[in-house]
Amino acid sequence: MRKNLVAMLTLALMVLAVVGLALAEGNGNARKGKYLYRKSCRGCHAAGGAASDLSPNSHTQAEWKKLFAGWESIKCANEWKALSDEERNDIFTYLHDFAADSPSPAKCS
Amino acid sequence: MPDQSHRRLTRRSFLKAACAGTALAAAAGQTKVLSGLVAEAGAAAAPWQSKFSACDMCFNRCGLIARVENGVVTKLDPNPKFLKSRGMLCAKGNAGIAQLYDPNRLKYPLKRVGARGEGKWQRIGWDEALDLAASKMKEIGEKHTRCGMWFTAGSDLQSQFVTRFAEVYGSFNVTSHESLCLLSNNRAFLDTFGEVPFADVLNSKYILMAGANRFEALVTPDSIDLMTAMREKGAKLVVLDPRYTKTAALADEWYPIRPGTDMAFMLALSHVIITENLYDAAWVAEKTSGLEELAAHVARYNPEWAEAECGVPAADIRRIARELAAAAPEAMVYPGRRSSDYENSTQIRRSFAIVNALLANWDRPGGLLGAREVGLKKPGYDAPWYDDNPPERADAGRAPMMFEEDGSYVLMREAVLSGEPYPVKGWFVFKTNPMQTAPDQGKTRRMIDTLDFMVVVDITMSDTAYLADLILPAPSYLERCDPATALQGSSACACVVQRDPVVPALFESRPVFDILKGLAGRLDLAEFFDFDIETYRAQQLAGLTGAKEALEQDGVYYNPSKVYGIYEGRIYKTLSQRIELFNKRYDQMGLDPLPVYSPPKKGPDKALRLVVGRSAIHTQSSTQDNALLNELEPTNALWLNPADAAGLNVADGEAVEVASSAGKGRLPARVTPDVPPGLVYMATGFGSISPTLTHIHGNGCSIASLLADGYDAISGNAALHETFVTVTRSAS
Repeated sequence: MRKNLVAMLTLALMVLAVVGLALAEGNGNARKGKYLYRKSCRGCHAAGGAASDLSPNSHTQAEWKKLFAGWESIKCANEWKALSDEERNDIFTYLHDFAADSPSPAKCS
Repeated sequence: MPDQSHRRLTRRSFLKAACAGTALAAAAGQTKVLSGLVAEAGAAAAPWQSKFSACDMCFNRCGLIARVENGVVTKLDPNPKFLKSRGMLCAKGNAGIAQLYDPNRLKYPLKRVGARGEGKWQRIGWDEALDLAASKMKEIGEKHTRCGMWFTAGSDLQSQFVTRFAEVYGSFNVTSHESLCLLSNNRAFLDTFGEVPFADVLNSKYILMAGANRFEALVTPDSIDLMTAMREKGAKLVVLDPRYTKTAALADEWYPIRPGTDMAFMLALSHVIITENLYDAAWVAEKTSGLEELAAHVARYNPEWAEAECGVPAADIRRIARELAAAAPEAMVYPGRRSSDYENSTQIRRSFAIVNALLANWDRPGGLLGAREVGLKKPGYDAPWYDDNPPERADAGRAPMMFEEDGSYVLMREAVLSGEPYPVKGWFVFKTNPMQTAPDQGKTRRMIDTLDFMVVVDITMSDTAYLADLILPAPSYLERCDPATALQGSSACACVVQRDPVVPALFESRPVFDILKGLAGRLDLAEFFDFDIETYRAQQLAGLTGAKEALEQDGVYYNPSKVYGIYEGRIYKTLSQRIELFNKRYDQMGLDPLPVYSPPKKGPDKALRLVVGRSAIHTQSSTQDNALLNELEPTNALWLNPADAAGLNVADGEAVEVASSAGKGRLPARVTPDVPPGLVYMATGFGSISPTLTHIHGNGCSIASLLADGYDAISGNAALHETFVTVTRSAS
């Protein structure tokens, strides 16, 4: 039993590590993330909305990484729980890939 | 002359032909056409009216006042309150009237009925046209996913709606004109400073201009400010350009640098500035990262080495470096604009950006400035998601630092031709003309032949429109209601302009916004276009106190935002959050983090390098058929150095055959020392295949038919100067 518990805990830690890595590295679908961000976040995070007006450009890549690494402790964690890991990672990838210090922060006309 | 099938369909062309049997009588024909048109459009109540607008004859968008006499626009004057153009309007701007009243304009929707390129068209109504386009888009979306449609829009205030349509329709495949122009330059400065700068030319004391031809390729306010800075404030201009341009002619110093070697010159400047400690050490230490790596990198690139590469004497390179440093921070390597030249153009332009960083001119008078706050809002929308779409753009993965919003025309064309990574079978084109502006016209033509459906929205039947399945007539800028747009004018201003119709739209022309709205309604996407331009503008201007009134009273709104020192307390948008002499992201990606010089490719034996440039009379390929501008520059010729001409036994004015890996053409030679031996030049936009462009059809040679299709390895921007041609005296 004890052996099983250790194995399960080890597995859980490995899964968490992999998910953590995935979140840290992005590698999700940024396009899907943009759609999900608009659908799930912009309802509040918009000009005149209930929360601060946010866009990918609001933070640096490092700041987005930090924020997503501890998403369980942010104000709207309950809403985030309704999303799957994959969906959260897609949103992270979108915000990270178009962050203020990303290669494509703004249109270049 | 126009072909018979088209003339049969255009009543005004018929009227014109009836009135003007010869080219000489065209002016009389035009008068008749005009009076007929105004009667159709409805004459204005007041005999004279003055209306604000913003020019659309190039991308600068100069503020102007249209004088309307009995419903006819008779004169365009510069808006004296428009600071970005310093209250001026150029030859192209003045010729806007000829675009509005151009008898060669598209007049109604045309459906292709013959073979592609045969020029046989059928006039159809708008409902039929929109039904056809919508059904084809639906069919392509169902068969190939929605990414099977490709959308391309030129520089226009309504192009944002094409991008919006593409996104809600569900295609990632959108390209702008910019991958044939300035993307590698933007890439380089963005990857050094974190944003693309605006040059404070007016307040600069020393300007080094490499390749840019600001006294002909007009950019506001830079072109005007450069003259003011030189003539009234004593600024020094040094020009590097193989071609003796008008900018070179007016410079204090001109060096006919060997083509493709600008990086050698710039690395040597960095070498001198660093080895002689000519930089502001405190500023560089505070704002930049990578000085140590740069110093080690440029140690080998001394002026003597650079002289052997670029042909500029080492003593002059050393002196120019010292003079620049002495004038710094009110000194600059002018960033320039079009950089679609070499396959390493991002790295070449990085070497420009790095010298600027060493001059400590960022965010300071006379240097390079970040974008100022304008405050215009971008109305948002929630595009739907289509699960069956492929993961990426069709041109993705071929250039590591391509811009998502602009793509790469050259790479997209490869993707369409190869059908890899997935089929792209439909093309929506708005007011851009890749058949004349993109390299390798033959390849563009072959690519078009693989498409199932192509629709072009434009004012005239461009060479690209001529190959479409469906052509939809757009109004000129003087007939349109356009969204507000923010303009950056360096230290002159940060402003907003918009357009209202000066006169009603002629013929059956419709703005692309109306066309997209019509298509959206037919494709169950109406909710994304459930507004009009006035409502959209109100959303854009929300929160900008006094903007609406200023636009009504003065034709322009200025935001008195901070000009200099806007980075105080702000991070630079790079990985190190500083100005990156050494680019960390490039290093992580396996790209050269500092620009490494490699000599330009050599062409085959006896081949000459073909380069692209601009005059002050024409914009890309969009103005050569304009009756007024065509009078000033009616055709093109091949500039050929006398030594090359003598070797080829070609006399000035004689016809020559020009051949490259892309194709061939025939045009007269202009034998001139204004180009060095081994290099040839010709103007863009002539030799049109579209018979309705009566001034340029079969007149001169299209440079697009000769340019090779290389691209910048980092950004995917076209590399037009990697073209070699052989020239022979024409047999006939």
